[in-house]
Amino acid sequence: MKRAIAFLACAGLAAAAFAAAQIGQPAPDFTATDINGKTIHLSDYKGKIVVLESYNQDCPFCHNQYQTGAMQELQRDLAAKGVVWLLVDSVNPHNSSHRTPEQARKEQADQKMTLTAWIDDSSGLVGKAYGMRTTPHMFVVDKDGTLVYNGAIDDHATPDHDPRTANNYVKDAVNQLLAGAKVSITETKPYGCGVKYGG
Amino acid sequence: MAGIHLQMDPQWHTYWRNSGASGIPTRIQWDLPFGVTAGDIQWPVPRKMPPDDLTTYVYEDEVVLLVPLKIANGVAPGSLTVKARVSWLECKEQCIPASADVEAVLSSGRERLPSQDAALIDTWESRLPKSGAGLSAQAWWEKDASGDLRPLILEWRTPEPASEADFFPDASDAFEVQGATERLPSDASRIRLRKAVKKFQSSWPHRISGLLVQKSGNQQLAYEVTLPISAATEPEPAAETTSAPAATPGGTVPPSAEAAPFSQPLWRMLCYAFLGGLILNVMPCVLPVIALKILGFVGEARNDPRHVRMLGIVYALGVLASFLVLAGMVIGVKAAGHRAGWGMQFSNPQFVVVLIVLVTLVALNLFGVFEVNPGGRALDAAGSLASKPGTAGAFFNGVLATALATPCTAPFLGTALGFAFTQRAALIVVMFLTVGIGLAFPYVVLSWKPAWLKFLPKPGAWMEKFKIAMGFPMLATSVWLLSLTPAYFGRRAWWLGIFLVIVALAAWIYGEFVQRGRTRRGLTLVVTLALLGGGYAWAIEQQLNWREPIQAAAGEGSLKESAQGIDWQPWNPRAVAQTQEEGHPAMVDFTADWCLTCQANKRIAIEIPSVRAKLKEIGAACFLGDYTRFPDDITAELNRYGRAGVPLVLVYPPKAGAPPIVLPELLTPGIVLGALNKAAR
Repeated sequence: MKRAIAFLACAGLAAAAFAAAQIGQPAPDFTATDINGKTIHLSDYKGKIVVLESYNQDCPFCHNQYQTGAMQELQRDLAAKGVVWLLVDSVNPHNSSHRTPEQARKEQADQKMTLTAWIDDSSGLVGKAYGMRTTPHMFVVDKDGTLVYNGAIDDHATPDHDPRTANNYVKDAVNQLLAGAKVSITETKPYGCGVKYGG
Repeated sequence: MAGIHLQMDPQWHTYWRNSGASGIPTRIQWDLPFGVTAGDIQWPVPRKMPPDDLTTYVYEDEVVLLVPLKIANGVAPGSLTVKARVSWLECKEQCIPASADVEAVLSSGRERLPSQDAALIDTWESRLPKSGAGLSAQAWWEKDASGDLRPLILEWRTPEPASEADFFPDASDAFEVQGATERLPSDASRIRLRKAVKKFQSSWPHRISGLLVQKSGNQQLAYEVTLPISAATEPEPAAETTSAPAATPGGTVPPSAEAAPFSQPLWRMLCYAFLGGLILNVMPCVLPVIALKILGFVGEARNDPRHVRMLGIVYALGVLASFLVLAGMVIGVKAAGHRAGWGMQFSNPQFVVVLIVLVTLVALNLFGVFEVNPGGRALDAAGSLASKPGTAGAFFNGVLATALATPCTAPFLGTALGFAFTQRAALIVVMFLTVGIGLAFPYVVLSWKPAWLKFLPKPGAWMEKFKIAMGFPMLATSVWLLSLTPAYFGRRAWWLGIFLVIVALAAWIYGEFVQRGRTRRGLTLVVTLALLGGGYAWAIEQQLNWREPIQAAAGEGSLKESAQGIDWQPWNPRAVAQTQEEGHPAMVDFTADWCLTCQANKRIAIEIPSVRAKLKEIGAACFLGDYTRFPDDITAELNRYGRAGVPLVLVYPPKAGAPPIVLPELLTPGIVLGALNKAAR
């Protein structure tokens, strides 16, 4: 964070906080609480591939991934391969899309999500540490804790496509990691709704 | 002209053709009668919505998206129904996607009649951006990138002073112009802005398009522009230029291949290629081969001049053929969409293994363990080498010289290759051949004028001893190559050593019992082949498992070589940029285990007490870029400085974004200390 801000301030640019998570660098560690009250650190998952998803079900782009079942399928598929999936909900408590832990637990069950944890990030700290800009906005962290992917879920930036026909960057990145290969596409432009951070 | 009228509730908005950090542009799918075609949407000037880090470009309240419809000549007059499905995303705190089917009846006829909506369309037409053709607008990179952000300057002429100015970029998958805009001082008749561009792919864009927006008085003006981005066409040249020592002219070259202009004339590059090839002869990696060649010359000196000349030519052909193969590889790798670099075959562990075995065999051959020419006898070796040196041997020497030369770059060569690697296939071939000609040149000249070798002693029994002595540098080369293999095979690299012993044993059996033996030569040949085959299957295939090199371990923390050594950190561009931000100079050494020039530089000019002391004195941070396994990011960085291979040493001044001093390929303590002093000032 400090690095990014220092650099951008000197360059006279204000896009500061959103260059924080950098490809090839250790992914920012965080301490957060999930909707079951459990404390989560990124470092808990060292040795495993971690997927971070910035999420807001009321956003049509997220909604499209879930109502088609494509996201749940990817979550199940990756969970079976030992991949950790952390959902980050950074909607601020004053926004109507905010979910209380109770609502979130229900939503998780209703949507049949396969998650390692649903992080209650209503403070926006995790989202901002990663520079999450949109919902969805995906990150992949390799087993050593290095950020290897930052960007869109797939290459079809609409809220009404069939995600299964799109090229899913997260799936590709994780499968490349599992195959011991280098991630070929490490950064794309995320698309979706803005993250509803609080003031 | 057709219009789609979108009316939003208060505080809700829809998006421009570039929605910005979030959102999605409104889409129109037409369903048109025969003979009618729709053009692109003409987007009125949007409003830029803060914050800077999540900028979006939106329409609030209402907007009319205009679309020109074209009616073909042959369409009969009458009513035409045009239909369209319009889909949009509307956001406030939430986003709601929606779509609507709209239709309108169009009467076509001979007269031009305004429709009842003509006034509305006119109003919105007046809000379309104008053409920016007359503004003499320009765009250029302010400086090199720090990481994946790079500052871009936009400048255009303005008829009247503007109180506000901005640039609304078009969207791209390859890069993104950040929301924040900085207005820079300029003379009153011009507007100058700084924008940051973030890239998502390996190369920086060459062209940018969007709207130049300015506010003069109460009037907002917007101009549609598409601008080529030049490396630096700033009217007043920038104060800071890359200082490059004489050996590396060209300085900073734009990062991507396509953008590299013919900044240097071709003839000069060819000169560099030739000189580089020439100097390559005395680079540490080629030196062992020189031993072979000296031996050849001594033997040839008293020989039939025509034969000697012929051998010189054959040697040159061997070199050139190898360079053609290299050029072919580079072209192939580039065509496959990968980055190519000098010495990249050394990142292929199997190539290294084959080369080790080959070099070991050459050493054994020099020791006289076995002969290459069938029928030759050991005691006669020097004599036979002199009287009847094989053309195949000369050709092989050429190939070996090239194979061993590739991990080195030499003065001039780095610049020439950096240029070559960005060129078209034909030019790559020409450049490579020129390097080859340079490499072969001294030997061709000497073979033409053997009289110049008079200073060498007459051939005699000493030659046999000399030949054996020359086996040792060759053996050393083999050991050096062997030292590269643990990076690929870890502890399994042991088995390669075992295999070399088996190869040596087989070579001895072959030389002693097959070549010089009198009885049972067939049987011993079978034993030799069985040893080689068995050794290969067991040591190389099974134990070394040479098709499955281990993964590169991610470098973390200090790479210090000894307690007093320089505190090297793994290189990454952001860390370098940060060091500059914090007001410290930085030194970056791009190196590789297989690069002997790099190792020599390090021993002679970098890891030495005076340089260590100077680094400490000026508080410089040191970064090591390990190119041993040919990582893409370092190839890209080398390309940025117009190099195709290592070594590359950069010294960054302690000033944010200041370009580095590029050091020449061959370093002396003076060069390094001089650059550090200059950077620290």
